[in-house]
Amino acid sequence: MQWLGRFIPRQRRYDDLSVSIREHLEEKIEELVESGMPRHEAEQAARRGFGNLTLIEERSREVWRWQFLESAWADARFALRQLLKAPSFTITAVVTLALGIAVNATMFSLVDAFLLPRLPGHNAESLVVVSSINPDQSFLGDTNPVSPPNYFAWRADHRLFADMSAADEFRTGSLAGDRQPEAIGYAAVTPNYFSLLGASPQLGRTFVQGEDSEGRNHVVILSHGLWERRFGSDPSVIGRGVRLNRENYTVIGVMPATFRLLGFIPDLWTPLVLTAAEQAPGARSSRFLHLFAQLAPGVTLPQAKASMAAAAERLQHEFPTTEQRWGAAVRTLPDFLIYNFGIRTALAVLMTVVTMVLLIACANVTGLLLTRAVSRQQELGIRMSLGATRARMVRQLLTEGLVIGVLGGALGVLLTSAGIRLISAGMSFNDAVRAVPISLDTNVLLFAVGVSFGSALLASMAPALKASRSSVGADLKSGSRTASGSRSHSRLRSFLVGGEIALASLLLIGSGLLIHGVYLLEHQSLGFRHDHLLTAGLTLDQARYHDAQRQAQFVRALMPALGQLPGVENAAVTSDLPSTGAGSVPIHIKGRQEPPGSAPHTAADVVVTPGYFQVAGITLLEGRGFTENDDDAAPRVVVVNHEFVHRFLQDREALGMQIQLDINNAPPGWATIVGVTGDVKSFSEDTRIDPEVYESYLQRPVTSFSLMLRSDAEPNGLIPGLRRTVASLDAELPLLRVMSMDGVIQTQKVGNTMFTQLLATFALLALTLACIGIYGLISYSVGQRTHEMGIRVALGANTGDISRIVLRQGMKIGAIGSVAGLLLGLPLPKIFDSIFMGLIFSAPAVYLAVFVAIFVVAMLATLGPARRAGRVNPAAALRNE
Amino acid sequence: MARNNEHRDLFPGALEMMILQSLRLQPMHGYGLVKHIKQVSDYLLQIEEGSLYPALQRMLKEGWLESEAGTSAKGRPTRIYRITPAGLQHLEQEVSSFEKMFAGITRVLAVAKA
Repeated sequence: MQWLGRFIPRQRRYDDLSVSIREHLEEKIEELVESGMPRHEAEQAARRGFGNLTLIEERSREVWRWQFLESAWADARFALRQLLKAPSFTITAVVTLALGIAVNATMFSLVDAFLLPRLPGHNAESLVVVSSINPDQSFLGDTNPVSPPNYFAWRADHRLFADMSAADEFRTGSLAGDRQPEAIGYAAVTPNYFSLLGASPQLGRTFVQGEDSEGRNHVVILSHGLWERRFGSDPSVIGRGVRLNRENYTVIGVMPATFRLLGFIPDLWTPLVLTAAEQAPGARSSRFLHLFAQLAPGVTLPQAKASMAAAAERLQHEFPTTEQRWGAAVRTLPDFLIYNFGIRTALAVLMTVVTMVLLIACANVTGLLLTRAVSRQQELGIRMSLGATRARMVRQLLTEGLVIGVLGGALGVLLTSAGIRLISAGMSFNDAVRAVPISLDTNVLLFAVGVSFGSALLASMAPALKASRSSVGADLKSGSRTASGSRSHSRLRSFLVGGEIALASLLLIGSGLLIHGVYLLEHQSLGFRHDHLLTAGLTLDQARYHDAQRQAQFVRALMPALGQLPGVENAAVTSDLPSTGAGSVPIHIKGRQEPPGSAPHTAADVVVTPGYFQVAGITLLEGRGFTENDDDAAPRVVVVNHEFVHRFLQDREALGMQIQLDINNAPPGWATIVGVTGDVKSFSEDTRIDPEVYESYLQRPVTSFSLMLRSDAEPNGLIPGLRRTVASLDAELPLLRVMSMDGVIQTQKVGNTMFTQLLATFALLALTLACIGIYGLISYSVGQRTHEMGIRVALGANTGDISRIVLRQGMKIGAIGSVAGLLLGLPLPKIFDSIFMGLIFSAPAVYLAVFVAIFVVAMLATLGPARRAGRVNPAAALRNE
Repeated sequence: MARNNEHRDLFPGALEMMILQSLRLQPMHGYGLVKHIKQVSDYLLQIEEGSLYPALQRMLKEGWLESEAGTSAKGRPTRIYRITPAGLQHLEQEVSSFEKMFAGITRVLAVAKA
């Protein structure tokens, strides 16, 4: 029967209860009257005997309730009514909190998109990526691809890896067929690649065992993007023929749009064929494979890391020439993707900044709540004297904070969706970044909800505890004489104002240093003339240009043809465009003692045609540049930059010195230095200058290079002529990334602009919030001291004295706060130096500017309240009390 | 009469035990219960009348009691409380455990006196 009881409606239970109690009292009164007591005395006696009627009825009812939830709901409704009664307070608090929540949730959407990658397969969590560790590269050197011989050796270790697949991810090629040739990026992968990643095709099939052998390998799988763009999402594409790098392939499958690792996805996939030559020990130095593996059952990540480190150690002894100092790294797939993206630091800094903005917003709300709590002292006192417990009062006040949090959170989410639209419009500076979807998804919503509740609790905790601590008697007795507020209240207020000023200073200093650093970077001289330059990428395919002679021949034919285009002053070919980060190689200098084995000299290596220095506008300091005669028949020559001479030759005579470069797949040989050029920045977005070596293209051709055309007018006007000229030499050779050099630099920079804009926005927001907070709290405390000011004026203080008192109070807090902020900001340049490479952070002016700015803001915020205090009419102020 | 409701009983469960025991004799309404307990205990036990009602609600919820519409001795509408089989079982358990405790206390006191 017990369970049935639950179906009796609660309202009936309540009615039953009321009937019982009413009858109880009436019966007792009647008995007392019968025993001779006057009726009104009997009523009183009966009630006294019964106890607190309302409380008892309430407690009886509570038995039937989900007590906590219901009273919380009642609290919330009550809080909402209270808040509606004070609209200006509510709006200020809600908007402040909403701004803090919105900037946090917006930044989190980036973290969500970039740092919490959605993985393609079901078993992705247990997948690892095996990389080599490049001893000569500081940036992401431990995610270096692996050589084929190492791939075969490591794959065979079945105690460690249940399965392993290899991918050559960044191939470029030309895709032809019924339409004009198109340059595409594609990946060559082992047949088990897709099954290992747990991905299945949208149409057709993936590769099967055996398709990685010569003769069976002419099959391709299309990416969803390419299928849509080039094949019009035609479902009958399976089985159709396409021309890839001048050879015929058959389409066997299409991957779904959801298949992405992170950012980049290739346009298509082909099977990876590793030739006998690539498996031979000689291929150890060509490292181009990304390895994905499934750990064997029972093998943990630390075990795998240790085993691979040991394996690399053994290789160092076995093959000292190629493997010396090289290591091996194992990472989980998610970890690898995030790490490789390199966006983590910027996001970490932005997240820190918005967290501080949120703290300032919370401090503002805390201040507002404190202010309110003081004026509600009496109400709270009355409630406590009526039997509310302290815990109950704290809960009520916290609920009020939470209601503000919920309102702020709702508004914040609206602002977030606007913020995300703004951000994703700006996050388009490169293909990989553009490909990452940024959206207001469940994760971001959950985050926003969490932040709303967290900050609401944070903001209302202190005021709630504070307000409820006051004793019942004191508050009622003091009547309206709330006057100067308690000492502890004013101490908390000063602490809040000081803290806000300190946080705002810290934020301004940090943002100022970063923005200053990025400004210097954007306005640095790169060491070459980047205006009026058109650039385009070209990749000579193995099918037609399989040896150095043909590659050189093509370039020899192309250069004069380009030079004759109207508007072209001269043209050149380079393996790497200036300031785009050329790869570095180990070098040896004849007659010089080699540095200890662990750190050989390395220099950036660029292969260029004769006209290059002139086209790029790089100054020749000594000797000569390359000429048409520096070909494979002539003795090997190189040109080095000034930094090379400075660092490796101690600024001594360089011309005539002989050096050797350790280059993969190239026969070693000494080359003579014939020229020294001025320095070019290694990256346009970095202040770094590396030693650099230029080689002659005619002596060592490369298959992937860029064209540079110096024009006398707007460089993009040259594009049609460039395309025609290349097509006249080879109709199936597509051009990649055709854009002006300024455009190239711009795309490398836009991330910075976005970053500094966000930083500046957040810093200003922090300053504004802090300003509002300071103004609010000081003007409030002045309001609270009206009584005191009244007495002072009555005792003879004049307007100026009063204003000075208030101003001095504001200044004191402002000074303490901004000095604290400055002190906190002192270690910032050191910290930034360790996370942002290539930026200059020594800028004492930033500190001074921030100190002055904060002080002025604090002064302005105090000025209004101070003037108002000075105008206090003593009679009114005292009567008021 | 203690102001603090935490101490309304001699020990936890005592009030409930007395209510159950009283209702076992016959179904009663609220005021009837109060009078019954006062009379039977020879006015040694004074319960705060109000505290009866939360206890009754708890016991209804536990399923030890049932309530039904009825009239008081004076003919006014009220609710009559009746013990259920589950309530009876609970009462027996409580009484037996109470008796054991009481016996224990008595022995200890006897030894202490001796």
